[in-house]
Amino acid sequence: MTLAAILNLTLAFLLAPLLAGVIARVKARVAGRRGQPLLQGYCDLLRLLRKGVVYSDTTTWIFRACPIVVLATAVTAVFLLPMGGEPAPVSFAADFVLLAYLLGLGRFFLISAALDTGSSFEGMGASRETFFATLAEPTFLLGVAALARKTGGLSLSTVLPAASPLAPEVGLIVLAFSIVLLCENARIPFDDPTTHLELTMVHEVMILDHSGPDLGLLLYASHLKLWLWSALVAGLATSPLVAPIWLRPVIAVAGTLVVAVGVGLVEALVPRLRLMRVPHLLATAAALAAVALILVVR
Amino acid sequence: MGVLIALWAALVLPILGALLALPLRRPRSILRAGLGVALASCAVDVYLAVDAWRAGSVTAAGGWLYLDALSALHLGLLALVCGSSSLFALVYLGDEVRRDHLSARQARVFASLWCAALAAMTLLLVSNNLGLMWVGMETTTMATAFLIAIHVSRESLEAMWKYVLICSVGVGFAFMGTLLVAAAATSSLSPGSSLLWTNLVASAGLLDPRLMRAAVVFLLVGYGTKAGLAPMHNWLPDAHSQAPAPVSALFSGFMLNAALYCILRVLRIADAVPLCRGWSQSLLLGFGLLSLVIGAAFVMFQRDAKRLLAYCSVEHMGLIAIGFGLGGLGTFAALFHSLNHALAKTLAFFSVGRLGQSCGSHSIADMSGSVRVSPLWAAGLLAGMLALMGAAPSACFISELQILQAAFHRASAVAFVVLLLALAVAFVGMLRHALRLAWGRSARSTEEGEVPRRPYSSIERLLVAVPLALLIGLGLWLPAPLAHLIGAAANIVDGPRHASVVMIEQRDRPASASAEADPCRADDGPPVLVRGASVAPGEVHP
Amino acid sequence: MDTGVDRLMLLVILSNLALLVAPRLGRAISLMALQGIFLGLLAIVAHSGTLTVRALVIGAAGFLVRGALFPLLLRRAAAQAGVVRDFRPLLGYVASALMGIVMLGGAMALGERLPLHLPEASKMILPASLFTIFTGLFLIVARRKALTQCLGYLVFENGIYGFGVATVAEVPALIELGALLDVLVAVLVMGIAAYRITEEFDHMDTVELTRLRG
Repeated sequence: MTLAAILNLTLAFLLAPLLAGVIARVKARVAGRRGQPLLQGYCDLLRLLRKGVVYSDTTTWIFRACPIVVLATAVTAVFLLPMGGEPAPVSFAADFVLLAYLLGLGRFFLISAALDTGSSFEGMGASRETFFATLAEPTFLLGVAALARKTGGLSLSTVLPAASPLAPEVGLIVLAFSIVLLCENARIPFDDPTTHLELTMVHEVMILDHSGPDLGLLLYASHLKLWLWSALVAGLATSPLVAPIWLRPVIAVAGTLVVAVGVGLVEALVPRLRLMRVPHLLATAAALAAVALILVVR
Repeated sequence: MGVLIALWAALVLPILGALLALPLRRPRSILRAGLGVALASCAVDVYLAVDAWRAGSVTAAGGWLYLDALSALHLGLLALVCGSSSLFALVYLGDEVRRDHLSARQARVFASLWCAALAAMTLLLVSNNLGLMWVGMETTTMATAFLIAIHVSRESLEAMWKYVLICSVGVGFAFMGTLLVAAAATSSLSPGSSLLWTNLVASAGLLDPRLMRAAVVFLLVGYGTKAGLAPMHNWLPDAHSQAPAPVSALFSGFMLNAALYCILRVLRIADAVPLCRGWSQSLLLGFGLLSLVIGAAFVMFQRDAKRLLAYCSVEHMGLIAIGFGLGGLGTFAALFHSLNHALAKTLAFFSVGRLGQSCGSHSIADMSGSVRVSPLWAAGLLAGMLALMGAAPSACFISELQILQAAFHRASAVAFVVLLLALAVAFVGMLRHALRLAWGRSARSTEEGEVPRRPYSSIERLLVAVPLALLIGLGLWLPAPLAHLIGAAANIVDGPRHASVVMIEQRDRPASASAEADPCRADDGPPVLVRGASVAPGEVHP
Repeated sequence: MDTGVDRLMLLVILSNLALLVAPRLGRAISLMALQGIFLGLLAIVAHSGTLTVRALVIGAAGFLVRGALFPLLLRRAAAQAGVVRDFRPLLGYVASALMGIVMLGGAMALGERLPLHLPEASKMILPASLFTIFTGLFLIVARRKALTQCLGYLVFENGIYGFGVATVAEVPALIELGALLDVLVAVLVMGIAAYRITEEFDHMDTVELTRLRG
């Protein structure tokens, strides 16, 4: 592990909760309000860690294991992320498959814990989450397959810096990945993270019964996931930029923040989709990724 | 010189007729004007055909127009079908005008579109440029679309919509095929002349074979849609059954043959390209067999008389396509069968149309027992249907027998058996319907709605007697000039493949014909062998 | 994917995908007009270096007719018949998108196998045109309303136009203009037929046109 890789990891773990703050701030500003402080994410985490935890009688060990597994998978996934042109701390051929499966494992435990509570609301959220994931994961894999074919590499660390978005295929993939980012992180237009109505929740309703440190762990894991996806998209978009070695982490972090601002703008300006339309948007993303793959394979 | 004048007259006269019919007021005069000009144009077509055949080949308009024996034969066919249909339309629509079923506007639409269709079909037959031929075919499709729905009803609109959509897509495919032919010729011909049929045949050895194969597929599917070959035939039963009888007769009698004519022209080119030889014929044979089987199968359980005749057209087009696919004697038989089928089908459609007018509907149940309603037309219908199913001594029997003979010698055993079975099934189906239509018990009560029958006009008698006489006459004796014309056309279709089918008398060709060298003979050996003055049908050997 | 013509063809491919899933007739007509404009540009740009008057005339005719005239006619027919969207199409959004990807793959494969040596400008012209043709055919088959089927026919003709650019350097101008004229007449015929159908049936749902059977 090189120094740069350690630096990237530290930045990821430290700055992940900042993204949520950025998004909320942008949303508020667009709506004409001042919005919450940028460091609110950290305050929320500390507050939750200090609280006590309540477990329902109907839950089993799965419910208690869920936050730990989810956090573990998110942390491990960050180890696979290349940033700023620097290879990831852990990289090998086809490591993107491991990435997809790690995220899948986390999601599996989240869904299982939601079903474990025996509550119908959480079951509903679980089914929706599964539905979205079924459509979003193939898009990710198609997109990475296209990138891999185009650049000739098989690891995220070799593929990401080499794919320039000036080529139309990569542009299509960036667009597809942006849509998948919004879906995986339960952002508008797929899910409203600030809604209080259980009937309209997807991700929030799954973690409705978690409390205290458990909830804190889950919150931090979702921040890490958002950082992961934003860094991926930013890495694709900024790959042609050539910079001296000390500037690269700065560019990577700046890119990630810019993506977060973009997410904030989308949240503020675009209405949430009806549930029946969600497959349409995901199908569009999948179609774009498939077109990119076909163009590359030609 | 006279030929060139006749050529341009044949193209321009129908357009003038269409324009002439527009400003007139009364339906009867509109019909007379339009259909009269159409008849005159048909006469010009006959003159043109005879002249072109005697001259060997005619070229005009810088090589864009060209006539040879094949065009001459089809021009004659066009004149026959369109002429008799125009005469029939005068009678049929005249009756409708008399009963106030046809408004002036409808008459205007009919007359102008009828003449436009005639002009387009003539253009198709005389063009040397494959693109121009395509334009003629597309124009024919568009011009005849509204002819189907002259009387607006749910069924006719449905038929028209299917026709327009399916045939437009089919013609679009044909355009793609034409483009592919031009692409195949880019390496050997200059762009301006890369679509001229004569040039393509002459330089066929230099065409790109893979592109030609792709072109043949597209053209077969595209023009096959217009010819009613299965599985692209779905528009045919609807369109032919919903259109008024004269239009149906024109469709079944000639338009399907026009599409097959386009296919023949293309196949002639493809046949001379190495690697395509034989392959395109097998494809056409396959389409033909499928159409024959489907047509024969659907004939059995029809309940509408015109729909029955439409499926019969599908079956016969399949038979003709089989003949062309077999080659040699099959080609001659197929061309002969085109003529016979046109005669019989027009007779049948005329009869069904008139009987339908008398009975008020076209369903077989209502039209049964037609001898009691109208003996002349019932006789015409019975004779037409007997001819269509191939009963002796009609000419269709002879041509079908020749196709069977060709299939026996050249096709696989399976194909031959399928052919026989399909023909048998069609025979049984048609006979059942024919007997019921002639003498069966009618479903409608005989008291009400019985329109008192007017005495037959001479035109009506003529319209029944002449085709009948021709059918039986041709069945017994094929006159030499006609045999020579069909043989020459068959030679053009077959090209260098089987140049020994029926040979043409060279004696009476004027020397000027050799100046415009017939490209089909470019690589043949010494042409010819002379046959006797009259050829009995059974004596044509491969 | 380097040249401008390549990117133009990518735009055509994306417009086809959008057409496959567009629920509203108005949006579909705009997409078809856009496609017409792209293809008109293609005719001018494809044979770069030999910008003849002939190419300009045909390109301009293509622009005007496909980009302006056809959408106008179709919009008028739609307004007359009161058609806004194609309710319950035979294949929904996701299925249409999936079919679109399959057809794109097929078009690419077919484009590779046809040995056309013409388009030096771009290797994408032929596959994009084939994809447009498949899209048009799909719209004809998988949609219910008569006007949507007419739109599918126009997209099909767009594809054939692109195919023509890809296969032949010089189809005689008369043939090209004749083809354009014939398509114009076809659109007029279809528009009038759709109007008559709406008048007679009170709808233009072609799936309901089932009186002629057997």
